[in-house]
Amino acid sequence: MNHTYEICLAAGVVIPLISFAILAIWGSAIGKPRASYVALAAIGVGLLLATYVMVGWLGMTDAARHDLSAAAYRYHWADLGNIPITVGVKLDSLTVIMYFMVTFVAFWIHFFSIGYMEGHSDEVDGQSKYHRFFAYLSLFCFSMLGLVVSSSLLFLFFFWELVGLCSYLLIGFYFDKKFASDAGMKAFIVNRVGDFGFVVGLALSVLFLRTFDLDQAAATFAGQFHAHSGVFAASLNLFGWHVSGMTLATLMGMCLFCGAIGKSAQFPLHVWLPDAMAGPTPVSALIHAATMVAAGVYLVARVFRLLTPDAQMFVAVIGCITLTLTALIAIVQTDIKKVLAYSTLSQLGYMVFGMGAGAWIAALFHLMTHAFFKSMLFLCSGQVIEGCHHEQDIRKMGGLRKKMPVTCWTFFVGVLAISGFGIAGTHIGLGGFFSKDEILAVAYERTFNWPPSHEADSHEESLAVSDEPRASARAALRSSIAPDIAPADPLGTSPFRLVGTEQGESARGEGDRAGSLNARGSASSGHATGTPTKLSIASTLRAMPRWMFWLPILIAYVTPFYMMRCWWLTFAGRPRDQHVHDHAHEMWKMYVPLIVLSAGTLFCSYWVFRPLIADAAAAATDSSLIVAVDGEAHTVAEAGGGTMLTVTHAPEASSPHHALIAIAGFAWIIGMGLAWLIYRNGLRLAESLRRGVLPIRLAHKALQEKLYFDHVYDNVIVMGTRAVAVVVYAFDKIVIDGLVNLTAIFGRFVGSFTGRQLDMPIRKGDFGLVDALANGIAGVMLDAGSQIRRPQNGRIRTYVMITAGTAAVVLLAVLFSDQIGSGLEAIRRSLVVAGG
Amino acid sequence: MILAVGLNHYLVLSALIFSMGILCMMTKRNAIGILIGVELVLNAANVNLVAFSRYQTGAVDGQIVAIFVILLAAAEAAVAIAIFMNFYNTVRTIDVDRGDELHG
Repeated sequence: MNHTYEICLAAGVVIPLISFAILAIWGSAIGKPRASYVALAAIGVGLLLATYVMVGWLGMTDAARHDLSAAAYRYHWADLGNIPITVGVKLDSLTVIMYFMVTFVAFWIHFFSIGYMEGHSDEVDGQSKYHRFFAYLSLFCFSMLGLVVSSSLLFLFFFWELVGLCSYLLIGFYFDKKFASDAGMKAFIVNRVGDFGFVVGLALSVLFLRTFDLDQAAATFAGQFHAHSGVFAASLNLFGWHVSGMTLATLMGMCLFCGAIGKSAQFPLHVWLPDAMAGPTPVSALIHAATMVAAGVYLVARVFRLLTPDAQMFVAVIGCITLTLTALIAIVQTDIKKVLAYSTLSQLGYMVFGMGAGAWIAALFHLMTHAFFKSMLFLCSGQVIEGCHHEQDIRKMGGLRKKMPVTCWTFFVGVLAISGFGIAGTHIGLGGFFSKDEILAVAYERTFNWPPSHEADSHEESLAVSDEPRASARAALRSSIAPDIAPADPLGTSPFRLVGTEQGESARGEGDRAGSLNARGSASSGHATGTPTKLSIASTLRAMPRWMFWLPILIAYVTPFYMMRCWWLTFAGRPRDQHVHDHAHEMWKMYVPLIVLSAGTLFCSYWVFRPLIADAAAAATDSSLIVAVDGEAHTVAEAGGGTMLTVTHAPEASSPHHALIAIAGFAWIIGMGLAWLIYRNGLRLAESLRRGVLPIRLAHKALQEKLYFDHVYDNVIVMGTRAVAVVVYAFDKIVIDGLVNLTAIFGRFVGSFTGRQLDMPIRKGDFGLVDALANGIAGVMLDAGSQIRRPQNGRIRTYVMITAGTAAVVLLAVLFSDQIGSGLEAIRRSLVVAGG
Repeated sequence: MILAVGLNHYLVLSALIFSMGILCMMTKRNAIGILIGVELVLNAANVNLVAFSRYQTGAVDGQIVAIFVILLAAAEAAVAIAIFMNFYNTVRTIDVDRGDELHG
């Protein structure tokens, strides 16, 4: 099998790593401008490889793509018990297009950085920061590309962590400023909180699904679902265990999503992204707009097949809350990068919400377009900040249109893109027009036209039908739907069999028939439609609550408002600070990327991205529990494809797209116009409104304090942790140290006691055995010696006496020796008699 | 009654004088007193020797030895006086109990 594309993609992952190694080891020797060329060359090679793969992939047929993907090489890395861990390049359309997007955006941001970092890397303390920046950028590219191509959840997690590390390193790039290093720590720690959930999800997946590979996990998951719904349920089955009302499967999906909450800065863990603006602007553009924060959404896309309806609803709720809160906070921001940061948070909320609503294609499409225009907006803001002599406060800007024309108009293109500029009803528009609109269309379907099959049934009956074939077709439809309301047969929903095989073909054919019937029967309602199996699954899902539709609609009005406010206050009107205005200028190295990215936003988004994402959607969303909805209106013939529901093209006004045109189609004009009205003459009108109207003042204060999230986290979590630390420290110092000291004291006492008693006395009461023995023996010897010495008293008289006495005794003994001898003999005999 | 004086009487006399001499050496603190004792002992030995020689026919060995002993006693007395002179020069007394520096 031909593995060229995999090798190309893998090479593109490894080359930035080599660049990182080179710059890390020899960076300072390579020197200031050339270090950036190394990194630029690495990512440039990556871009070339990505383009090659994409061009080749686009030229392949569906069957060829499926074959190539199924035969991909998997490297058996290790075994976890008897679970093999394999890793390889997951070769499908989503990988290809995501890879291309990441390398493209990264390349132009590298280009921008060369100009930007010229003035920003001071040779401080003899330590040049320039090569360090590009080393970290290369490491980040390696990690992000690895994350994109990873076929195994475990390796995705490895790269996930690496991306978090690079984010920390790059945010805290100016580490000698405390708020920058604090922001880096905050980003990493908040990410880790989310990663805790991710690890729990990974653990559940390896324990119950016994694999990390994404495709196998999805297949096992579907198998467990079907096994559980039958008579014989497997014991180690995710659906057999319940924790506080949720199945373990739901818990696993929610835990895996926790990682995305952390990485993509969703509702409770969104606090790190605005602070991350302390890093250099290219970092904000690359990491916190286009790629790293998109990794969370990418993860949800990859594990879509592992979600249950409850988990999906959780995802949608979190996304909805995020997009609302952060858009409201963005209205009152005065730092240009903070506005863009909150705008990013809000758009990420849209993407996550889209995933939760089932708009798989739309959410990823929004991710791609957002990457382009948000990174372009960040680069524009970087240009503005650079040009205005490091001024970031928009209250001090104004009237920069004449001084920085390229920046001004590319920023405006970005504002239009994010606002969803487009002429309703046609295909003329910029990125947000297509992607956000599609998400909202799917949300509309999920809220008002749900569940689809029941509606189709009732609607069909309401039509007047006269001809035979239609009635028989309707009967056939009903009979084909009815048995499928029960849990679907495994064959029909197996992900491996549905795409590109005769089973899939027949299902699609059936779906076509049913879909077309459905469409004809319900053509006037434009409902979502699909294969009978998918419709039956959809009928088990709850409709979304109304507020989850209306909030994104409201924010669709708010988004253009705050973006236009930002643009107008920065570029239009009269300059509010003359000094800043005088200094403003543009640099060619920095506005070439802006032009390229704006061209991307204008032209490439719809016709290049969406088809590839749509192609990947078929396999990636084939779940037995939830459905993805293709929000794009198709004609009847295209409808009812494989694994997703499709919104059909309806001629009447009740199609979701038509409804949306009425609800939010002109949101961009209204939002931008409102902003122009209020901020036309600068901030005076807004200020007077704020001072005069109490609700506005209170709301403004709350939003300015970022809805008190940071305060609450600081006081509850940080202070709480510190309090626990104080308690534990006291315990350590008093109890544990006390125990240790007590042991020491005890040892010392025992030693001293035994020493004194057994060896050597110090005080009066001590015994001192050994010393007493030694001294005693010595004393005895001394006494014996003195006693023995006593005869020798030095006196002659005594010596004479002893001599004479001894002589006398000897004389007597000799004289009476016989008698002595016989007497001794007699004594001896008597002793023997007495003894014997 | 007239006592027949035989050898034994001379030997007993010698023994008595000998033991008196020893006693004198043992008890006298005066250095000259010790010398007197030494002289007594020597003279007792002389008496012993001469007695043995008188009651042995034909030999005069004992008497010859007695003359040697007298000679030696004189020499020895001279040497002893010299020692005692040195003793007096250091200790300023002739109490021999004072010369107990070589005690143990």
